[in-house]
Parts: sequence; structure tokens; C-alpha cells
Amino acid sequence: MPAGDYSLEISDLVVRYGQNTVLNGLSCAIRRGERVAILGASGAGKTSFLRAINGFVPAASGKILVDGIDVSKTRGRALREFRSRIGVISQRHDLVDNLRVHQNVMAGALGRWSSWRALRFLIWPLPEELEAARSALRRVGLEHKLRARTSSLSGGEHQRVAIARALVQDPVLMLADEPVASLDPALSQQTLELLCRLAEESGVTLLCTLHQPHLAEHYFERIIEMRGGEIVRERTGAGRLDALEIFPAWGEGI
Amino acid sequence: MGRRHLNSVFTLLRQFFPPDLSAHYLKAALTPLEQTVAMAAGGILIAIVIGLITGIWVAAGLPGHRAIYAALASVRSIPDLTLGILCVVVVGIGPAAGMLALAIFYSAAVGKIFSDLFRSADREPIRSLQATGASRLSVALFGLLPLRSKDILSYGSYEFESAVRCSVIVGAVGGGGIGTELVGTINALDFRRATTIILLLIALIAVIDTCARWIKQRPALLFAVFPLAAVAFWQDRPSMLAFSHSISTFAGMLPPALPHEALVKLPKLLLETAEIAVGGTFFAMLGGLPLGLAAARTFTPPWISLPVRRVLEALRAIPEIVWGLVLVSVIGTGPEAGIIALALHGTGSLGRLYAESFENIRKDPVRSIVATGARPLAVAGFAYLPLAVAPLAVHTLFRLEWNVRAATIVGVIGAGGIGQALYNAQQLFFYRQMAAYIAITWVIVATVDYASSRFRSDMGLMERYA
Repeated sequence: MPAGDYSLEISDLVVRYGQNTVLNGLSCAIRRGERVAILGASGAGKTSFLRAINGFVPAASGKILVDGIDVSKTRGRALREFRSRIGVISQRHDLVDNLRVHQNVMAGALGRWSSWRALRFLIWPLPEELEAARSALRRVGLEHKLRARTSSLSGGEHQRVAIARALVQDPVLMLADEPVASLDPALSQQTLELLCRLAEESGVTLLCTLHQPHLAEHYFERIIEMRGGEIVRERTGAGRLDALEIFPAWGEGI
Repeated sequence: MGRRHLNSVFTLLRQFFPPDLSAHYLKAALTPLEQTVAMAAGGILIAIVIGLITGIWVAAGLPGHRAIYAALASVRSIPDLTLGILCVVVVGIGPAAGMLALAIFYSAAVGKIFSDLFRSADREPIRSLQATGASRLSVALFGLLPLRSKDILSYGSYEFESAVRCSVIVGAVGGGGIGTELVGTINALDFRRATTIILLLIALIAVIDTCARWIKQRPALLFAVFPLAAVAFWQDRPSMLAFSHSISTFAGMLPPALPHEALVKLPKLLLETAEIAVGGTFFAMLGGLPLGLAAARTFTPPWISLPVRRVLEALRAIPEIVWGLVLVSVIGTGPEAGIIALALHGTGSLGRLYAESFENIRKDPVRSIVATGARPLAVAGFAYLPLAVAPLAVHTLFRLEWNVRAATIVGVIGAGGIGQALYNAQQLFFYRQMAAYIAITWVIVATVDYASSRFRSDMGLMERYA
């Protein structure tokens, strides 16, 4: 459903936990396909902001439109359909350890699948379903881990599987909540580069919270700085992906 | 099961309703109710006294302490109901038998717990006492007892709670009290009164749960057990003095022996008991999984989880043996009744434990699955189940261990297996045969307890199961 040029429109968003106001009248509009980094100290409201967008945190007032759809007006099935088009990647620990990699990856398809098909897939995956998982893993360079145990993955691999899961969702919007917080600097760059390249290739809008300003400037077109639940500054990053091929191949042993 | 069969089951079940709530019958039911409570109080008082003495004996390292400890540990492996049968044979039908069975079973349980408690006490004050040249006994009395007084009271209250639960069921084999009344109504095909007794039993257990909570907060309330126990001792006085009869009956059980034809049937009986234990656990797991998920407050809205929790409580409040009594009268004797009885009670217990396990999983992975727009059942399969699989396995393993005990117990009321053979031998006064079955039951339960605890410590699964 086309809704102008904007993928995400937020106006006067207020979020409260009890007495505590965490988002205080936040407004912004993000264009389709734009890559935006959100910077800010811990407690600035970054995570609450992302969680409000896919409806995990209710808005006290204000409006959130994703592709023209108002989150606060969706319930049940409509909310599930809404969420199925938003890919989420977070710090770590958001894969299910006791599932295999292909099961975690295809969790991205659950928004389209019936309950029956979901449960059947856990026990009896069809060849075409495995092929879908394999091709998503190929895009993040982890094709060989298709049936590996999730608990055997390294930190960087873990995040790439989470990205593959988001790709399977065929999203219009990707929300990444400090996706590199638990990775070392070299891995952080590789992971962000991959995330931004995939977002650019498939024309997905990307919203990513970060702690490191230099990474934001390297990889993102636009940078929003938050403090105390408000946007305090906006600037433009370089976002020159092709110019930044510092790490041509995935490093070994990092 | 054919349709006709189902119809007859339904007709039989209907005879249990409505319960007989006439003032006349409720008044008559008061006597067994009082007997049950008094029996539990008397049994636990004896148990605490004997438990304290043996506990101190073992902790002080007085002569024969190793043998005493081994004896305590092994007596604890005789299922309570099996002890009940033994006591009924020795002292005759009535609450005295029930009290004796409770006293023996809980003396062993309390004695073992107390000796473990004393042995794990802080060594420092004990050493300084020893340095004064005090004897081992006075070190125990003046060092260990004060050090552990708080734990003694809290364990004492916990054992009292389970003794009252247990006193309800030893009656089923003639141990007096409400259990005997229940079996009496069912044998008399007076099913509506059986329902009344079951309701009273559920109410009694609820009252005990509340009292146990009070005692846990103020362990001194445990001393209320003295007047109750005095009533029991006074009531059961005459039958307790019939020693000569008891001794001659007991002598008649020795040595335990099985005639050839019983020996041939033994493998079949053991297989049946295993069938009841494993089948009961399996179906309890099948029932507990969906109900536990439905009762998990993080997974379902309150209008589903609250009523499901009530259902689980009701299933759990009725002991296996009471389910067994009802089922045997509805579908007839045999292992099927035992399997269903264990499955129903087990569904209640496992359902609650599963629900807790589901509620305790990490939230982040669940949120990430919900964020994909997954349907509730898909969230259950992709997040709740895999994330909770370890605690689910522990709880199920504990239930299997428990059900081996329970399988020998439900057999007694006609649900097949070795328990039924034991009971039949008692009814026919084949006491040496009965003693042999008791010994076999003892060995099975002790072996399974030992194997299971070894397995758990090997796997590092040491979660306790209340």
C-alpha cells in the first residue's frame, strides 16, 4: 500500500513506564530506503523508541505510521501482519539456543505461515523451505551453517543469523537495536557493513541504534541523536558504502 | 473403546452426582475426619521424637551410627501405603494402624533429614566444645541442637504437612480415618457419599495447606501437635496394647516366601507396575504440556490461564489413590485404571510445574519470535518449548521416579501390578507371600530412587521438587 515517500512517520510520540516518561514528544519522518543511525547514551530512550514502532511498548500519545499503517490501531491478526513486515535484530541472545540455525532463520517466515505449517516445519522441514533458509544464509555468508546448533555459533555468526532471519521476513523496515554492542571493533564493522549493504540491495529502510559515532558516520546516510527521550540533533553521515571496502572478505578467527 | 462401553462409563460416573450433603451424613463424616487429623498428629509426634534421637545419635557418631543411617534411608523407600498394609495386618484395622504406619515412615524420613542437617552444621563451634573435653553426646546436645533449632522446626512443619496428606490415604487399606470411610462408601456402591468424602478431602487438604503456610511463618505453632497427638494416643490406646497378637502375626510373615505359581507370575506383575508408572507419566506429560502452556501467565491472557490453573489444582488435590478408587469402580480393575489415575494426578502436578518453567524462560528470544508476526501456537513451538526443554525434562523425570512409588500404591486398590498382588495376599491371609511382595516393592523403589538420583547428579540436574 503506497503511502507517500515515507516509510516511517512519527509525530509527538510519548511513551511512559508508570510515572517515568521515556519518550517525550518525539517526531521524525524517514524516507523509503533510507539508512538511519540513532545515537545516544544508555537510557536515552533508543530501545523504547524501536519497541514502540513494532508495538511492544504502547504509546501514551502521538502517532506512529509504518507505510501509512497506524500501529496503535492494529490488534491480533492485523498486528501480526504488521509485525511480519518489520525485521528486528537486537544486541544478542535473541535467537533461540535450542533450535537449529535453519529453524531460527525460518522463524522469519512465521508471519506468513499457518500454525500447522510452523509446527510441521520444526519436525519435518520440506526441501523448498530448507532452500529458502539456505539462500538467506548465503546472503550473510553462512550457507555452511544451515543445520548447525545455534549455541555453537560465534558472536558475529549469531548476529548474521539474526540478519538472515530478518531477510526471510521480506521486510519493508528493519529495526536493529545495538546490533554490534557485544562484538569487537573489527567484527562490528563487518556486521554493520553487511547489514547496510543488504538493506541497500533490497531497498529496505533501516533504523539502527548505535553507541559508536564513527560507525554511524561511516555507514549511515542520516544520524539522529537522542537524549532524555527527545531528538536533540540530526546530521548527515557519509554513507558511502562502496568507498569503505576495508574488509573485503570475512576474516578468519576474529 | 466402543460407544456402548463409553455409555456405561458415563452412566456409572453419573452415579457419583450429586454428592450427599445431608446434615445427617456430614455429621457422621466428622468422626473419620477427626481420626485422620489426630492420626497424623500422633504419627508425626512419634516421628519427630524418634527422628531427633536417631538424628543426634548419628550426628554424634555413637555406636552403630552407620547402620542406623542406612536403616533410616532404606525404610524411607517403603511406600507409605505398603507400610500401612503391614501395620493393618499387625495391629488390626483402625486408626492405630494408620498412626503406626505414619510413625514408622516419618521417623525414617525425619531421622534422615535431621542427621543430614546436623552433619552439615558449622564445624567451628563444635570443635571449641570438643576442646573442653565434652563427651560426644553432650557436644551433640549442647552444640548441634541449638545450632540447628530453626531448621528442625521448619523441616518438622514440612513433614507434618505431608503426614496429614498421607494420613488421608493410609486409610484406604484399613488404616482408619477418612480413607477407610471412602473405601467403605465405594465398596457399598454408595457413590454419592464417596463424592462427599472426596470433597471433604479436598477441603481438608486446602485447610492443611493454609496451616502449613502459617507454620512456615511461625514454626512455634508446630507445638499445637501435642494436644492433637494426645487425643490420638488416648483413642488408640486399647488396640496398641494388643502386643501378643501383633507379635504372633508378625512372626507368621517370616520368612517371606513366594510359592512357585506366584513366582511364575512375578515378571508379569512387575511389567504391569512398570506399565502403570511409565504410562501414567507419559499421559501426564501429554496432558501437562498443553495445560501448562495454557496456564503460563506470560503466554495466555488471564481469562484462559486462571481457569486452567483452577483445573490443574483440582486434578492435583485428589491423590492418585482416590482417582484410582473412583476409576476402578467405573472402568473395573486392571492397570488401565492405574495409568489413568496417575495420569490425572500427574497432569495436575506437571501442568503447574511446566507452567512455572514456561514463565521462567528468557524473554528476549520470545520477543524476537513474536516480532516476526508469528501466531501463538508457532510462538509456543519456536520459543516456549525449546527454551524450557531442560526444566521440563527434570520435572518429568522426577514425576517418573514418584510414579514408580505411586504405581505400587494404586495397585493396592485394584489397579493391577505388584501392589494388587500384595493386597490380594493380605486379604487371603497369605502373610509370608505378602511379606515377599513388600520386600520386592521395597527393592524396586529403593533402586529407582538411587538410579534416578545418580542420573540427576551426573546430569547436573539437582532441582528440588516440592
